[in-house]
Amino acid sequence: MSKPADLVQGTLDLLLLKLLALEPLNGWAISQRLKQLSADVLQVSDGSLYPALHKLEQEGWVTSEWRPSENNRRAKFYSLTRAGRRQLEIETGNWQRLSAAITQVVRLREA
Amino acid sequence: MTIDRLLHVVHRRWRSLFRRSRVEAELAEELDNHVQHLTDELRAGGLDTGRARTEALRRFGGVERHKEACRDARGLNRLDHLWRDLRHAWRSLLARPGFTLVAGTTLALGIGATTAMFTVVEHILLRPLGYREADRLVVLQYERMNTVAAGNFLDFQKEARSFAGMGAAEWWSPNVGGGDAAEEIQGLRLTAGIFPLLGVAPLLGRTFTADETHAGAEHVVVLSHQLWQTRFGGDSTVVGRTISMDGAPFTIIGVMPRGFGFAPYWATGARLWAPLVLDARAADRTGASLRVFARLGDGVSLEAARREVAAIAARLEQAWPGTNRGGTVVPLKELVVGDVRDALQVLFAAVTLVLLIACANVAHLQLLRAAAREREFALRGALGASRSRLLQQSLVESFLLALIGAAGGLFVAWGGLRLLLRLAPGRLPRIDSLSLDLPALGFVLLAALGATIVSGLVPALAASRADLHGVLKEGGRGNSEAPGRRRLRALLVVSEFALALMLLIGAGLVLRSFDARRRLDPGFRPDGVFSAVINLRGSAHQPGERREQFFHDLQQSAGALPGVQGVSMINHLPLHGDSWRLSFVIEGRPLAEPGDGPSAYFRVVMPDYFGTMGIPVLSGRDLTEDDRRSGNQVVIINQSMAERHWPGQNPLGARISVGALATGADWYTVVGVVRDARQTGWTGPVLEEMYFPWLPPAAPGARGGETLAASLHPGTMTLVLRSTRPTAELLREVRGLVTALDRDVSVSDVLTLRDAVDEQFAGPRFQLSLLGGFALLALVLAAVGIYGVMSYTVMRRAQEIGVRLALGAAGGDAVRLVVGQGMRLALAGSAIGLGGSLLLSRYLRSLLFGVGPTDPFTFLGVPLLLAAVALVALAIPARRAARVNPLTALRSD
Repeated sequence: MSKPADLVQGTLDLLLLKLLALEPLNGWAISQRLKQLSADVLQVSDGSLYPALHKLEQEGWVTSEWRPSENNRRAKFYSLTRAGRRQLEIETGNWQRLSAAITQVVRLREA
Repeated sequence: MTIDRLLHVVHRRWRSLFRRSRVEAELAEELDNHVQHLTDELRAGGLDTGRARTEALRRFGGVERHKEACRDARGLNRLDHLWRDLRHAWRSLLARPGFTLVAGTTLALGIGATTAMFTVVEHILLRPLGYREADRLVVLQYERMNTVAAGNFLDFQKEARSFAGMGAAEWWSPNVGGGDAAEEIQGLRLTAGIFPLLGVAPLLGRTFTADETHAGAEHVVVLSHQLWQTRFGGDSTVVGRTISMDGAPFTIIGVMPRGFGFAPYWATGARLWAPLVLDARAADRTGASLRVFARLGDGVSLEAARREVAAIAARLEQAWPGTNRGGTVVPLKELVVGDVRDALQVLFAAVTLVLLIACANVAHLQLLRAAAREREFALRGALGASRSRLLQQSLVESFLLALIGAAGGLFVAWGGLRLLLRLAPGRLPRIDSLSLDLPALGFVLLAALGATIVSGLVPALAASRADLHGVLKEGGRGNSEAPGRRRLRALLVVSEFALALMLLIGAGLVLRSFDARRRLDPGFRPDGVFSAVINLRGSAHQPGERREQFFHDLQQSAGALPGVQGVSMINHLPLHGDSWRLSFVIEGRPLAEPGDGPSAYFRVVMPDYFGTMGIPVLSGRDLTEDDRRSGNQVVIINQSMAERHWPGQNPLGARISVGALATGADWYTVVGVVRDARQTGWTGPVLEEMYFPWLPPAAPGARGGETLAASLHPGTMTLVLRSTRPTAELLREVRGLVTALDRDVSVSDVLTLRDAVDEQFAGPRFQLSLLGGFALLALVLAAVGIYGVMSYTVMRRAQEIGVRLALGAAGGDAVRLVVGQGMRLALAGSAIGLGGSLLLSRYLRSLLFGVGPTDPFTFLGVPLLLAAVALVALAIPARRAARVNPLTALRSD
């Protein structure tokens, strides 16, 4: 079973926020979209997706609503709140700084 | 956090908490949705329905586990655990009612006593005075005198720049007419500056204006809420009505709100306020009778105001030598609470120690329980409960216990406060408004929280560390205890004894001081004497030449009452009454610099005062009827005055003159010396005192000096009457006599001299009762503590003791074992407590009288007492140890 620790700590939040910034999605759709977009590199176990979503909702960054999904079942759709949008900006900034820094270190040539 | 996000979060939490079933259902549906999608996908891949579902569930990885993770994410679990712990704790407390009762009662006593004391401290020391920005109010006074003469006040008011406002107050107790008999009511005369200074708006009507503080316009009065209620039944049309005071009509212009009082530290019983007219007194530099209040100006520091006042006072002193020495300002609050602050702080510290001992006792009880339950904890730990979960459970149980204690503590505090109010000396400022209110409730919760931590943390840590291996290996025989825990329990008992000893030392020192105070001789025989103030103002006997007749007739008729052994009158009753000190000069001796001359308490008495009071005349003679009739210029002095000014000589026949500006024209011959009697304070030295005969204005002796003349025939005298009959009965008869002579004369301020003396002990008695009570409580708790520890030890070691007995040890050995071990703890605690007491007892100094803070008697006696109590407490476990039956002990499990 893969755990969220497979991802860099905290990046799951960033990915979820980003996906939801594009359009409101339900849990199943999110898991599919993650696999698709990262070309199966980012493997998030289905189970650990939901606690993460519930945590984002608890923090007030996403909100949810029950709507009919494509297969005519009722599904819980998550969408980004204004606070979530701000959080996304913050975390994106953090990520860019971090990855830039790491990239720079990795590119150092050995003398 | 923005508002909408905050609202969102609150809403989420609310839903999570209170819409549990809905949230749970949605969670189940959401996860099931996912599994359905997976199933559909797998079915599309060719699996049949049943296999697809099973495979989907397998891939999803345990629905229940994910649900739990989601609940965690929503913060549900923490609450769930807390709730479960609370229920578990409640059940386990109920399952051991004995433990819960003892621990709960201990905490209730500790928390209750502390809360009651806190309420007193909060009301008296912490709460503001009830005037606008009361911390900016100051009182102008001198180093050695707290009253100011009118002329000086007017100069300060004119010259000082440090103040936003200034006003003066003067004692005033008018005879208020109307009703069956005249009644003397305590009031104050105020300059126009006072009410604006205080910034409290009247409930009805208005306060007086500057125009009303001039002669002719001053017959207006403002009533206190209480007087308005008692005398006018709270009638809202009272404003504009007229009342008669000292025979003159006054218009009621206002009523102050409930709770308003002025002045807060002196004349605290004032129930009405009228304008003070100073027009004709601007030249008065010596008749110091005003109390001066001021408000510091914006940005002016106390020090700056002090400097300015000192400078003005110095200028005034130069202009009028002998006046205005050492002018300064003192914060009003300081005067209100200064006297009691030390005592209250000591008492609060003491009660906190009691609470600590109570907590130590409960901690100890918890440790015992933890020992009994260590297998439960060890097992739960083995089954995967994390250490923090075990810790939390222990603490929750302690907190629940503390809450039970707090609830009981509220009752204890309520009862304690009522007791406090009964014990409290009347002079304790602001005590009337005492009640358990919001700050007290807050304090109870705080105390409960503190008690949880102090009494619960140590046992909780010990319990959560329970070592599975060791505990399970012992196989439940439990005869050897972890040495760490044994040390912990010993430590608790030692600290209980140390704290109790410190409290007992404090109480012992205060007790010794109280005893030393009691043994002081008042100088008169108080038992069987009562006093009452007779005030002629506003009556037909007010004019100077008519007073003699009234007082003479009253003395004669009261003396003729059955069972009366003596009747006399004095201008100011010692201890309880006003006290004036006048300067005097002795004939034939050089005049001192103004302001530096000797002074003495000034008394004016009717004949037979010394006989009635039981003050022996040491040499010379008593004052007689004849002295008054013939207007003899005579005086009687006390022993101190004789010894100080005529050391080794006979003062009889010497002549003195009285008054600040004495010129020596009016000489009074010393005809007698009487024994010293207490004057204003109980513990201070007795100072010079002179007793003049009451002389009518026409008498030759009263025509002498300007200052003295008017003072020798006061219209207000305090009657003293010695009899073996009940006071109430005699008082009724005396009132009848007064009314028969003149129904406009008031009789007030009745008290027995025993009460006047006891009043002097009121403060110390209050401190002693509280401190003594706390110390007693501490003693009992410490005794219970040591009893508990040793009983437990005996129980634990019953096997060992049984073996020893079986091998031939005598019962006495077992007793020695228990007593020896217990006493070692008690003595160690006592030693530490003695050290602490030596360090801390000097903070008691302001409460002590006649004993030092390291009084050897107390420091020896208290440890002995504590040791004796420990021995008694050890007797029961020791007996039990001696009676251990080797057979049952060895068989027991």
